[in-house]
Amino acid sequence: MCGITGIFSYHYAARDVSREELRSIRDHMAARGPDGKGEWFSQNGKVALGHRRLAIIDLTKTGAQPMSNEDGSLILVFNGEIYNYRELRKELETQGVRFFSSSDTEVILRLYEEYGEYACSKLRGMFAFALWDSKKNALLMARDPSGIKPLYYADDGWTFRFASQVKALLKSPAISKEPELAGITGFFLLGSVPEPFTIYQDIRALPAGSAMWVTATGSLPFKKYFTFNQAYRQGLAHAQKIKSRDVKEYIQAALQDSIKAHLVSDVPVGFFLSSGVDSSLLLALTAQAQTQTGPIQAITLAFDEYAGRPEDEAPLAKKVAASCNAKHFIYRLARSEFYEELPKIFEAMDQPSIDGVNIYFISKAAKACGLKVALSGIGGDELWCGYSSFSVVPRLRKLCFLPSLVPFAGELFRYFYEIFLMPFKIFHPKFAGLFKFGGSTEGAYLLKRGLFMPWELAQFLPQEDVSKGLSRLGLQDRLKSSLIPDPGSDFARISILESQWYLRNQLLRDTDWASMAHSVEVRAPYVDTVLFGKLVPLLAVMKMTGNKSWIGNYFQDCMPQELIRRKKTGFTIPMSVWLHEKLKGKQMTRNQSKLWARTWAQSVFNGAAA
Amino acid sequence: MRVLCLMTDAFGGRGGIAQYNRDFLAALSGIENVEKAVVLPRLIADSVFQLPAKVIQLQPSLNPLAYSVRALLTALRYGPFDIIFCGHIRMCALAWLLAKLVKKPFWLQIHGIEAWENPTDVQEMFVRKAALILSVSRFSRKKIISWAAVDPQTVKVLPNAVDISRFKPGPKSESLLQQWGVKNCQVLLTVSRLDTSERRKGHALVIHAMPELLKKFPKLRYVIAGTGSDQSFLERLVQKNNLQNEVILVGQVEEALKPDLYRLADAFVMPSKKEGFGIVFLEALASGIPVIAGNKDGSVDPLRDGENGCLVDPDNLQDLIGAIEKQLLKTKNEIVAASTFSFSNFKKYLSTILALNRQ
Repeated sequence: MCGITGIFSYHYAARDVSREELRSIRDHMAARGPDGKGEWFSQNGKVALGHRRLAIIDLTKTGAQPMSNEDGSLILVFNGEIYNYRELRKELETQGVRFFSSSDTEVILRLYEEYGEYACSKLRGMFAFALWDSKKNALLMARDPSGIKPLYYADDGWTFRFASQVKALLKSPAISKEPELAGITGFFLLGSVPEPFTIYQDIRALPAGSAMWVTATGSLPFKKYFTFNQAYRQGLAHAQKIKSRDVKEYIQAALQDSIKAHLVSDVPVGFFLSSGVDSSLLLALTAQAQTQTGPIQAITLAFDEYAGRPEDEAPLAKKVAASCNAKHFIYRLARSEFYEELPKIFEAMDQPSIDGVNIYFISKAAKACGLKVALSGIGGDELWCGYSSFSVVPRLRKLCFLPSLVPFAGELFRYFYEIFLMPFKIFHPKFAGLFKFGGSTEGAYLLKRGLFMPWELAQFLPQEDVSKGLSRLGLQDRLKSSLIPDPGSDFARISILESQWYLRNQLLRDTDWASMAHSVEVRAPYVDTVLFGKLVPLLAVMKMTGNKSWIGNYFQDCMPQELIRRKKTGFTIPMSVWLHEKLKGKQMTRNQSKLWARTWAQSVFNGAAA
Repeated sequence: MRVLCLMTDAFGGRGGIAQYNRDFLAALSGIENVEKAVVLPRLIADSVFQLPAKVIQLQPSLNPLAYSVRALLTALRYGPFDIIFCGHIRMCALAWLLAKLVKKPFWLQIHGIEAWENPTDVQEMFVRKAALILSVSRFSRKKIISWAAVDPQTVKVLPNAVDISRFKPGPKSESLLQQWGVKNCQVLLTVSRLDTSERRKGHALVIHAMPELLKKFPKLRYVIAGTGSDQSFLERLVQKNNLQNEVILVGQVEEALKPDLYRLADAFVMPSKKEGFGIVFLEALASGIPVIAGNKDGSVDPLRDGENGCLVDPDNLQDLIGAIEKQLLKTKNEIVAASTFSFSNFKKYLSTILALNRQ
């Protein structure tokens, strides 16, 4: 994992690239790559690439970036890991391709030489890269299918700039901080900034699973080289009924393959362990496969205030770690440390987000343990239907479908709620949107996942900005279009919405900035297109309930019974109390605890944006 | 490839937009794949002697209804067309309709202030339908992206071009020096319309700078070329500051005299706040004249962010005075030419964009 940047003065009227500008963008990402820095400038002064390195594969100088081919016609900067690089290398070598390093970076370079932009679809891993092709006088940008690695860009019509972080791009004097209202309203509606927007008008995100060329006329439309919708459709077409007794074996083989791939590294790899099914399963399967040389190191984040209480994650995690013979480290977070780190968290937060604080602290712990790489259970809920949205959204849609057909029913219900129900504060304010949104899958999803309802935003943002932002964002249309082509089942639809919105814009973004703040690379074996391809035909025919205890039941031998039955608590609860007390100076009431994320969102927006 | 161009004016037209359109059509004419470009103008002010090859310019229609009907008839009569080119944002709805009719994309051209604010929500809807938007400057591009929910990748910048064979360095014209009584003087020049609505060109700021500048450059004169409704306001301002001998309003200068007009100057000054691009900056630069412009609009483009000239805060008098002093002390060989904005670059860029459209 690294930080990449570049500037391409593509227009005939554009000035030559400024070296100082490139360096200031690059060095803002020092935490992403503390092990080295590199730069490359084209002879004509029109192109520059920069890199900050976190050395994980091929620790020697031959793995340094920007990396070029023999004749210097291709220059690459790359952030991420390619897990199948050894297989790809073998394949290329049989075709007569010669390598000069043992890095995964060079594999991308060689693949591009052989396959051009189609190289992207051969890569298994997390990546964001930019490749300068001097023969074409064009820059190719690409991002992994799930959007694990970020890539932001700014194109002013003459000059194209990109970087791994939004805040790094802001170091360029040519990029303004003018607000993008679509990104801001998107943040308040969802709790994270939805791609391709950022909170700044000049900066956009390259969508996940896309490649984009930047030529002499600037950036061209994205080319989608992977969509989950298509993958689901293919999976459903090959849906297979596997005998119950074989399911475990099938899942285990697929998972172990993904874990094995994600352990590819020239430095030790640790595990983030909570008392949940996903991370425990990862650890247990790794231990069973004995692919790691030396003891496995697992880290658990726990809270001082929970010590000895049922919410404490540590005892169960300790049991799991012990059963896997893992070296276990429990990092106890105290309230005082949390308050102390808060300004640093805001500084590291690349885009406003209502989550990510937990990853920040567990990554801090990983660094303290001397780790550079850790595996996380992130993405398990999307795969195993762990979110309640898998059961709630279809129910909501059935309940609201008919009323939502009645003209103005949504608006009338909203006014009814505001006049008669709101004063009692029994229901969550989102209840007002029941008939407005509940009648469709995407609307019901918005109700379930949403932070604020659109009409609530004017309480703290200027009405004019809200109207403009909502119009530019077009959230419902975007949600709807993410379900085209229709993936074919409710499970697939909700899984896609969760993967393309919540996982991509929130969880993966948070994982990136929060881990990178401590120069730690987090890998997610559950967020893997190969694993996904193997599991979809199976999952498609299973009855999903919004509860992932089923997967725990298959793997009872890998984890304690109480862990499978344990309710999801998350890390948010003590932090929400701490935050509330810090912000408001008094204890949180029950009603406030239901809405704490809203208060936090406003603080984050002011803190991170500033 | 056949292009139907809906334009306010082109050949026989006056001003920056007409000039841009002429360049656009001349460039189209020189591109191999372009078979024909049919222009339907809203007005033609002057006589038209010669059109570039492959370009057909029809009679103008000022009346919007008549124009729309003629546009529809033209689409049918001269078609089939591959691109409908909309030369002004106000004709966007018509361009969209024609594009629908011929089942081809439409391109929108934006220039300056007409595209800086959202005209109406309906208009925004039509702007969104454009397959490609060409903007004269980065500033206008940024502005339209800020109010129209368009994909930024569809908004490209095609800056104005300057005829470097016509505008080039040369000696000061004796006859003009005599005519305006500026012989042996250092001359500041502004060339623009003097419309009340365009008071943001910055003439007044330059006039306010004159007393201070005259202390250091006693032989300094400020020549204002152009006419318009704001002339009397400027005359009053000159009188009020007692600068009747130092500020000379020379009125409209005929096209043929323009190269001489620029060469007369020692510095071209226009601290404007509402410039879409400012072709006059290019003409001055090509004539070898140092240029001073405002830094809050499209003027930054011809000045290439300060590489081609001096950018000042158009609200800051001292900033302007400092910049003028600096430019007046410059020798000619320090001045950067405007070759970047040559017609050949303009044509090459347009050709690349057309090739993209074909893909």
